[in-house]
Amino acid sequence: MSRLAPEGAALSSVAESEFALASRRRRRLTRQRLGHAAAPYALLAPAAVAIGLILGYPMYLLVRMSFEKYGLFELIRHQGRWVGTANYAQIFHDSEFWRVLLRTVLFTVVNVTLTMVLGTGIALLLLQVSRWLRVALTTGLVLVWSVPVIVAVDIWRWMVDYEFGVANWSLQHLHVGNFVRHDWFANPWTGFGVITALIVWGAIPFITITVYAALAQVPQELLEAAAIDGARPWRIFREVTMPLLMPIFVILTSLSIIWDFQVFQQIWVMLDGRPTSDYYTMAIYAFHQSFQISEYGLGAAIAVVMVLFMFGATLVYLRQMLRAGEIR
Amino acid sequence: MKVRFLVAAVLAAMLAVAATTASGGTSKAQAGKIVVWLQNDAQNGWPEAVALANRNFKAQHPDVDVDVQYQTWGNHLQKFDAGLAGGDAPDVIELGNTEMTKYMAAGAFKTLTQSAFPNNKTWLQGLKNSAQYNGKLYGVPYYAGARAVIYRKDQYKGAGIKSTPKSLAQFVADGKKLMKKYGKDSGYSAVYFPGKYWYYAMSFVYDYGGKIAIRSGGKWKGTLNSPKALAALNQVASIAKSMSRASKTTDEANPQQALVFAKGKVGSFVGNGWEWPYALDAKVGNPALDPVVGAYPMPSHIPGKFMPTFLGGSDLAVPVTTKNQSLAVDWIKAFTSTASESEIAKAGNIANTTKLLAFNASNPKLAPFARAAKFSWFVPTSPNWANVENANVLQNMLVKIFTGRASVKAAATSASSQITRILNTGA
Repeated sequence: MSRLAPEGAALSSVAESEFALASRRRRRLTRQRLGHAAAPYALLAPAAVAIGLILGYPMYLLVRMSFEKYGLFELIRHQGRWVGTANYAQIFHDSEFWRVLLRTVLFTVVNVTLTMVLGTGIALLLLQVSRWLRVALTTGLVLVWSVPVIVAVDIWRWMVDYEFGVANWSLQHLHVGNFVRHDWFANPWTGFGVITALIVWGAIPFITITVYAALAQVPQELLEAAAIDGARPWRIFREVTMPLLMPIFVILTSLSIIWDFQVFQQIWVMLDGRPTSDYYTMAIYAFHQSFQISEYGLGAAIAVVMVLFMFGATLVYLRQMLRAGEIR
Repeated sequence: MKVRFLVAAVLAAMLAVAATTASGGTSKAQAGKIVVWLQNDAQNGWPEAVALANRNFKAQHPDVDVDVQYQTWGNHLQKFDAGLAGGDAPDVIELGNTEMTKYMAAGAFKTLTQSAFPNNKTWLQGLKNSAQYNGKLYGVPYYAGARAVIYRKDQYKGAGIKSTPKSLAQFVADGKKLMKKYGKDSGYSAVYFPGKYWYYAMSFVYDYGGKIAIRSGGKWKGTLNSPKALAALNQVASIAKSMSRASKTTDEANPQQALVFAKGKVGSFVGNGWEWPYALDAKVGNPALDPVVGAYPMPSHIPGKFMPTFLGGSDLAVPVTTKNQSLAVDWIKAFTSTASESEIAKAGNIANTTKLLAFNASNPKLAPFARAAKFSWFVPTSPNWANVENANVLQNMLVKIFTGRASVKAAATSASSQITRILNTGA
């Protein structure tokens, strides 16, 4: 513990400073009160140590690597060379990085919006339908949720397959246009359209089921009172339901932002592990720099920037939403 | 005091758990087993050669097991890097000849003694060069491959083509005849040419006198935007556009072009020797096509000559992390023995030794590829070349050209400057 803590394990060092504070106070305390003061920290300690080891230490290594020249040569010798902020300077001067960042932000906004709107919409729909339909819908959603990502991607890949895909076949037979051997990935817009559909499809169940559970907790009297006061459904949703569900929405949106911002497998597997640069998102770009170009220091710097960016984005959002949603 | 004891006990327990989980898995069994990474081409194409090598190795070392783990080209280097970082890389690894330089330059392999290996005096020169760096040997030539046109004799006949083309112009004219006769079927390709098939596309560039990059004054310069290379790429674009219905965004292995060929709607494709028998495979291909399939070397734009083919191939190397170097060397010896290499050649490859070239020339299903191999091109020999491949620079360029998202000139110019940068700086 004492050897690991100074190495940047943020949480365990917080716990430790609390410990220090407690021990300074301890001299003035009676033995019995000491027990009460120390017990919470004793209970927190295992978790803090575990987090420090499995999260803090790798994070420390990542941050350290981002300040090092760490290529294949260094990898084999397990020894990087300190280069200060050179890696960061390089990525910030790389126009590719900015393109990828913009693409990722856009991608995240579209995906999170679609996921939240559709997920909430279906949850509201669930309240209105008959019991058996609700069970059927929920079962379907749970089944979607339980498909492993890689399997889901492969199924979607077959559906939009160039030669034999059912998507092309159906669209052709519906006379939508010429879809014989239509290549969905030739144009990055339609390519990302397919990927967005896949991701939104996969994320909706979690949103819907959570929002539905929360909706069930909204007191019926409030809704009735609003209705009696003459409010129309949309207004009731906006001014009664929404504020009550705000904490849930904040959590779900933040989680979705985190998931969609670092999307990797869906794009990677869909494009045979060799996506062209039009399909690079931040996670793929970092992976590319690290594992394909063998510039691990550069890749680490991108990963650090990505983490900070994501942290910043969710923090601002969280604060805004919490302030707007303060009702208690 | 009780509480402090409790805290201490919990912490001690946590540390003990952490320590055991941290040290678990890092210790590696000594001998007993060697791990060999081969590409899955061996698994599909010449499993008999692998089995033979394992039997011979086992006879020599009865108490050592060989664990052959098959890898795919798409991600084997990433896995290898992870292995090098964790000290858990295989004892023997197969690397493509274009991938060798990067790893040799970084010091990833043990040096090897040439005289220890079978047929070392008659190794194919091209492969041997790819396994040497600064005068030292780091790899053993495994096999080489040359590509030729694999075609449907019956369709050529049906379109009124009397003999296989002897010039690129004739090849194009024949393709047009095929498209006229069979192209009404919107799935038919006279020349199957997927958008990321850069080995084939670059053959045109070298045939027209262009190069991917040149080195002068110690600096590399990408030259795909030279007039000769542009002329070649225009020709590529025109063939792909008018004669191929292959996807513009996939490569020759996804789906396997030989299997697309086996489905019957392809007049010809450019493939390795092993792809011919693969197309006829009873399980995944179509054995009924056997009598109507043939092959000929891709003709050059200069009538009567062949277009240079990419000299593909693989070497076997011993990573520095191994603790079983002598066992690894013994396995490589067994796998590159004349008997084992003959099996590899039988599967449609060019063996690592010139001794077996006559064997290839005497077999009608291998001869066209052996002839094609006489004119070959190779990628720029820079330690950074593997990064150009991994950055998909050429694939990106071809996809842009094939899909029409950029003009040939714009795509080639952008690719050239990327190649210049990567070859000189590594990233």
